[in-house]
Amino acid sequence: MTKAKSTLTQMNGYGELNKRTTYFKRYWQLYALLSLPILYFLIFRYGPMYGVQIAFKDFNLFQGINGSEWIGLEAFREVFAMNDFYITLRNTFMLNFLDLIVSFPAPIILAIMLYEIRSARFKRISQTILYIPHFISWVIIGGIVYQLFGTQSGMINGLLQGMGFEAIPFLTEKNSWLVTYLFTGVWQSAGWGTILYLAALTGVNKELFEAADVDGASRLRKIWHITLPSIKPTIVTLLILNLGRMVSIGFDRPYIIGNTAVREYSDVLSTFVYRIGLESGQYTLATVVGLFQAVVGLIFILGSNYISKKTTGDGIL
Amino acid sequence: MTGNMRRGVMKKAAGAVLTALMGVSLLSGCGSGSNEGAASDGSGDGKRVTLKVEVFDRGNSPSPHTITNNWLTQYVQKEFGDPNNIDVEFVPVQRSEETTKLNVLMASASDVPDIVFVYDSSVFYRYAQQGGLTDVGELINEHGPNLKEYLGEETLKFGQLEGQQFAIPGKRAITARYNSYIRQDWLDKLNMPAPTTTDELYETLKAFKEKDPGGLGSKNIPMGLALAPSGYEPLIYSFIKPIQGDLTYSQRYELPLHEGFKEAMQFMNKLYNEGLVSQDFSLDEEEEQLAKDFQNGNVGFITEDVGQILYADGVLDNLKKNLPDSEVAAIDTLTNPNADNKYTKSRYGSNGMYIMIPKSSKRSVEAVKYLDWMASGDNLLTMSTGVEGENYVMEDGIPVVKEDAAQEIKDRVYNGGDMAILANGKVIGDQETNEEAWTVGFPKQNQELMRQSIAVANTDTIGPIVFDRPIEAEAKYGTALNDKLKVIIVQSTMAKPDQFEAVYEREMKDFMNIGGAELQKELEQALQEQG
Repeated sequence: MTKAKSTLTQMNGYGELNKRTTYFKRYWQLYALLSLPILYFLIFRYGPMYGVQIAFKDFNLFQGINGSEWIGLEAFREVFAMNDFYITLRNTFMLNFLDLIVSFPAPIILAIMLYEIRSARFKRISQTILYIPHFISWVIIGGIVYQLFGTQSGMINGLLQGMGFEAIPFLTEKNSWLVTYLFTGVWQSAGWGTILYLAALTGVNKELFEAADVDGASRLRKIWHITLPSIKPTIVTLLILNLGRMVSIGFDRPYIIGNTAVREYSDVLSTFVYRIGLESGQYTLATVVGLFQAVVGLIFILGSNYISKKTTGDGIL
Repeated sequence: MTGNMRRGVMKKAAGAVLTALMGVSLLSGCGSGSNEGAASDGSGDGKRVTLKVEVFDRGNSPSPHTITNNWLTQYVQKEFGDPNNIDVEFVPVQRSEETTKLNVLMASASDVPDIVFVYDSSVFYRYAQQGGLTDVGELINEHGPNLKEYLGEETLKFGQLEGQQFAIPGKRAITARYNSYIRQDWLDKLNMPAPTTTDELYETLKAFKEKDPGGLGSKNIPMGLALAPSGYEPLIYSFIKPIQGDLTYSQRYELPLHEGFKEAMQFMNKLYNEGLVSQDFSLDEEEEQLAKDFQNGNVGFITEDVGQILYADGVLDNLKKNLPDSEVAAIDTLTNPNADNKYTKSRYGSNGMYIMIPKSSKRSVEAVKYLDWMASGDNLLTMSTGVEGENYVMEDGIPVVKEDAAQEIKDRVYNGGDMAILANGKVIGDQETNEEAWTVGFPKQNQELMRQSIAVANTDTIGPIVFDRPIEAEAKYGTALNDKLKVIIVQSTMAKPDQFEAVYEREMKDFMNIGGAELQKELEQALQEQG
C-alpha cells in the first residue's frame, strides 16, 4: 500500500516535472527573449540602487561609497532647510501640472483629427510632418526658439515692431516665458503622442460607424460616442503614467529653454540636482533629492492608480 | 503571439536565430569592452611605466592629428618619455565639461590620470579637503629644480594650503584682463570727445541712443552687454571699494560682499531701462549675440577681455569688412566713485590653472619629472609655439610666428596652449616681454590697437587676495552663489526703476541666506588672521 502510494507520488512528481520541462522546451525562446529585459532591469535599474546609500553618508569622492561615514538623516535635514529646494519643487509641480493641462489633450485632439482624414496619402504626409519635431534634440529647438522669440533679435518681435507693436519679452519675462515653454512642448511632443491613440483606434470596429451612419449620427456625435470611448483606456493609462511623473521632470527642456532672467520659474528639481551634484560635487545632497523624487513619484503613481480604479474601473496595476 | 508560434518550424527557427543573434551581440558588446580595458592597461613589459596626463579636447584636431596622437604628443614621448622609459598617455577631457568630467574621473581610482588640472579654485580646495591630492612639496624639492625656478615662490603659493603643496599652479603670462572699446567714427560724427569718466560715458551713450549716429533705428545698441564676466565685471569693479589697497576678494561671487556693489546694480538698471544696453543680454551667456551685433556695426561701446575682438578674422576684422569706414578705439572711461575716481578694474592673479596629482596615483614622481622637463630648456616654447625657424623666428628675444608657414607646419601646435599646461599664454620672460610676444601674434593692422588695449587694461588694476588656507564656504557654496550672482545681476538690471530697491533687497537677502553670510564671516576672519 505504502509502496504503491509512494510510486504514485513519484510518478505524479515525475509527470509534473516532465510536463514542466516539455512546456519549457516548447516555449524556451520566449523565456530567452524575456531574459534580456530582465537582465536589463537587474543591471541598469536595480543594480544602481546600491548607490542610494550615498544619501545617508557623508560621501567622500576618494574613499568611495563603503569608505564614507554614515550620517543618518543629516543630509535630508540640510536639503529640507534649503530655500532652493522648495522653489524647484514648486516649479517642478507647476510646470508639470500646466504641461498636463496644455500638452495632454493635444495629441488626443490631433489623433482624432488624423483619424477623420479620408485621403490616405494626405494622412500619411501629415503624420510624418507631425512626427518630425519629436526627433529634433532640445539643444537645436533651444537655438530655434532663441532665434524666433528673442526680444531684440528675434524674428517674431522684428515683425511685431515692423508693424508698429511693442516687442514682447517671450523669453525674459516669467509669464510670457511660461507660455513659450508650454507651447514649445506641445509643438515638440503632440505629433509623436498621437501614435498610441491611433494604434488604439485601428482596433475600432468599422461596423459601429456604419450603424451610426444609418441612424443619421453627425460626425461630432460619432466622435463623442464611438471614437472617444474606444480610446478611453489608453487615455486613462497615459494619464496615470503622467501623474506618476509629476515630481520628476526632464532635464533638457527646462535647462535649455530656461535662462537666468526667468530662473524664478525655470529652476526645477532636475536642474537643481545637476547644479549641486555634478557642478558643485555635493553628491550626498543630490542623491537625497533623487531619492525624494523617487518616493514621491511612487506615492503619486499608486495614488492615481487607486483613484482611477475606483472611479473608472481602469488601472495599470 | 501564440498564433505566430503555431505557424510551424520556420517561425520557430526564425525565433531561435533572433534570440541567438541578440545573445551574440550582447556578448560581443562585453567582449569589446574588456578588450579596451586590456589595451589601456598598456604594455606591461617590465620596468617601463605609463604616465597618464589630462588634456583638454576642444574637438578641433586637424587631420591627420587626433587629440591623443599628434605632433606634440609624439614630441613629448620622444623627448621625455623614451629617455625615461615612460609611456606618456594623454586622457582627453572635453573643454566644456571640464569640472563634471573631472569629478567623475577623480571618483574612480583606476581611471584617473596622474596629472589633472582645473581653473576653479573651489574645486581644488574641495579635492584637497577630502584628502584626494598628493602633497608634492618634497617631490618638487627632489625632482623639480627647473619647475621650482620657473614658477618661483609667488606662483607656487597659490597651490599651498596650510603649508602643504597640494597643487602646482601654472604661470600666467599676462595679468591684463579687461578693457573697453568705443566706435570712434560714431564719436566723430556727433563731434564728441571720448568720454573719460563714468558720467561722461552715460552722456555719450545717451547721445548714441538719441542721435543714432549709425542710422540703425531699432537695431541701435549704444552699449553692448552680455551675461558674461567681461560684460558685468568691468562695470561692477568700477563701483566697488577694494578690501585692501589694490587687492580684493578673488572670487566673482564675492563681489556682492563689497561696498558699492549696489550702486553698480543701480547703474546697470538705469542703463537697461533707458534702453542703452542690449535688451536680450540675459540670454547671451556665450557672447554670441554680442559678437554678431558688434561686427554688424550695431554697437557703440563694449567692455571686453583684452584682445578678444582683435584676433585674425575676428570681430573687429569682420566689422571692417562690413563697414569699411568704421573705426574702433580702446578707451579707459569707467571711474570709481568709491576709490578716488580711479579707473579700477580686475586683473588676473599671477597663477594659471591648478595642476594636481591625485593621491591614488602611483606615478607621482614621474608626474613631477614630466612637469620639470616641460619647464626646462626650450620645451615650453616648443610646446606652445613649435619649432624655431619653421613655426617662428626669434626677433629681439621675442618669438614671432611665421604667418607664411605651411598649414601642415602650423597644425603641429594646434593645441599648444592646452598641452603647455605650465603656462597660461606665452611665458617668455617678464610681463612686458610676454605682452609684446602676445601682441605680435595678432594681425599687423590690429597690433597698434592691441598695445593700447593692454595699456588700458593695466591701469589701476585690482588683484586677488591669496589666503594660505582654503575658505570652506567657497568650496561649499561657491557654485550656488555664482549662480545667484547672475540672478542678482539680471533681476536688478531688468527690474522697473521703481521696483529696483525691493528686487535688489530681496535677491541680496537670498544671497546672504544661501551661504553669502557664512562666506562673508569666514573671509573677514581669514583677513584678520593674515593681519
